[in-house]
Amino acid sequence: MAASDYLPFIRRPKPGFVTETGEPVWGVMAQFDTTVDAYHAAEKMRDAGFKHWDLHAPFPIHGIEEAMGQKRTILPFIVLGAAFTGIATAIGMQWWITAVDYAGFTVQGKPYDAWEPFTMIIFELGVLFSAFASLFGMLALNGLPRWHHPLLCKERFLASSDDKFFVVVEARDPSFNPEQTSRFLREIGASAVELVEDA
Amino acid sequence: MSQISAEAYQKTLARIAADPRMATGNISAPPSAARLSMGLLGLGAAGLAVTVVGAVVMGPQHAMASYLMAVGTVLAMSLGALILVMCFHMVNAGWCSTVRRQFENLASLAPVALILLLPVVLLDMFVTKGKVWEWMAPGAESDPLIAAKAGYFHPVFFLARSAAYLVLWGFLSARLRALSTEQDRTGDRSLSNRARFMSAWGLPLTALSTAFAGFDFFMSVQPHFFSTMWGVYIFAGGAVACMAVMVITFSALRFVGRLNGLVTPEHFHDLGKLLFAFTCFWAYIAFSQYFLIWYSNIPEETFWMLQRTTGAWRGAGILLAVGHFIIPFFFLLPRTVKRNPAFASAGAAWILFMHVVDYAWIVRPILHHGGHAPTPASWWVDIAAVLGVWGVFFGLFVTRLASGPLTPLKDPKLPEAMSHKNYV
Repeated sequence: MAASDYLPFIRRPKPGFVTETGEPVWGVMAQFDTTVDAYHAAEKMRDAGFKHWDLHAPFPIHGIEEAMGQKRTILPFIVLGAAFTGIATAIGMQWWITAVDYAGFTVQGKPYDAWEPFTMIIFELGVLFSAFASLFGMLALNGLPRWHHPLLCKERFLASSDDKFFVVVEARDPSFNPEQTSRFLREIGASAVELVEDA
Repeated sequence: MSQISAEAYQKTLARIAADPRMATGNISAPPSAARLSMGLLGLGAAGLAVTVVGAVVMGPQHAMASYLMAVGTVLAMSLGALILVMCFHMVNAGWCSTVRRQFENLASLAPVALILLLPVVLLDMFVTKGKVWEWMAPGAESDPLIAAKAGYFHPVFFLARSAAYLVLWGFLSARLRALSTEQDRTGDRSLSNRARFMSAWGLPLTALSTAFAGFDFFMSVQPHFFSTMWGVYIFAGGAVACMAVMVITFSALRFVGRLNGLVTPEHFHDLGKLLFAFTCFWAYIAFSQYFLIWYSNIPEETFWMLQRTTGAWRGAGILLAVGHFIIPFFFLLPRTVKRNPAFASAGAAWILFMHVVDYAWIVRPILHHGGHAPTPASWWVDIAAVLGVWGVFFGLFVTRLASGPLTPLKDPKLPEAMSHKNYV
């Protein structure tokens, strides 16, 4: 994903590779027919040192993160930050309302700055901010939402939601080369390899 | 449970038995366990002897309160273990097959903890007359609030309830453990179904009896006080302490080279998650109990909290909020801490310390009355009582642990536990 995918006024980088018809190359996709093939292909892609690549499967594959060599997500730290923001918001807001702005307005004879009733809102805002950070942070880290993706132009790619597995390598990967990468994908067991245009 | 054919099941059992991880050296307690249990029992005997000295020096009330506090910690954790064993059976949990035996061992000490407690109850009922339990004092029924509860506190009814707890916990914990060890010998997988059936009726009864034991032995120390959340509070503290004991037990066993490949970081991760979850659960229950009392402001309830959140016990109340919730919450939050036996044990040891503080906070403020306030110098009685009871209790626990294999041998869900992974 790149900023130019989202903001039309940002000029797209000059394509590194073009097809015979002159269209920019987005990457290559390789089809694998079984889970085992896809799993081992992922291990070989990882060991070959590719950076910008992904694997598409119709269902979650246990242990595929290790096979792909994926780092753990930073989402928990985003959520933790959001939780502290929520807690601070709740404390600040309630303390200011009850102990400062409305000080003198007695409720049930309790102290104006009693911490006990704050606790529920501290919890609620902590959870609310965390939930929002989880959802929107996950979407942002995944580059979502987006209207379109070059892979969606490929008839063959529809099978990724049915019974086929796809390893795709993006052209922006430093070691990408249309011919060599395609050959490598065939060597590691792809049943079909296609060039993907940047449509 | 999806049943595979008897023939295929025998093959599974043979495969498990042939697995190098099930070698005797990997699943039997080290010889040093016997020395450890003797040492703990010796420490326990010494601690209890010092507690008796404390009864002479400091007066029986202080020693009995310290002893009640110490027994409360172990009674709660063994009941937590009993409830967790039944939960494992009820939900047909697979991951815990390799760790369940130690939960069963801890649960089987619930009647022992109650037997440790009952002499003091009888002593206060018939000899010292209300030194700890206010309603046992002669003339207590002249207090209208105690008189209103006289039926519940009738000695025959009270002792009948205690006997019922002993029978129920003794039967359930011994039977569940026996079904599991019988399966070790016979490999009969229908025993798992019987344990499951037993858990179905055992769980509600144990939940109710835990709550009522909490009312009888801990809440009735100050019989004016009442809280409908008390039973859950006792269970929540016990469940936290049980998980902490389990984390330390398995870390120790892994440290001496046992259970290689059977209790892995994946299992520590799950034990740690339960430890973390029950810590949050305890905090939720403790705060809810405090908050409802604070909010409704009824004198029969607030006096109890006032004794524990103002004056001499204010510090302990704050320590509980911070030490029993906030510190373990952030300490146990990272995945790496839960998966590392050393880190997880450090957190568990801290939580066990807080469990003792919790029971001190529940029981010990009764010694502050009429201008009398025990000084910190008198804490040796409390420390002796805790060391005494914990020495006896954990000495017996280590004996149980060393008495057989450390893990079930022919549990139908062992393959699941032996290849357990957290895919998150």
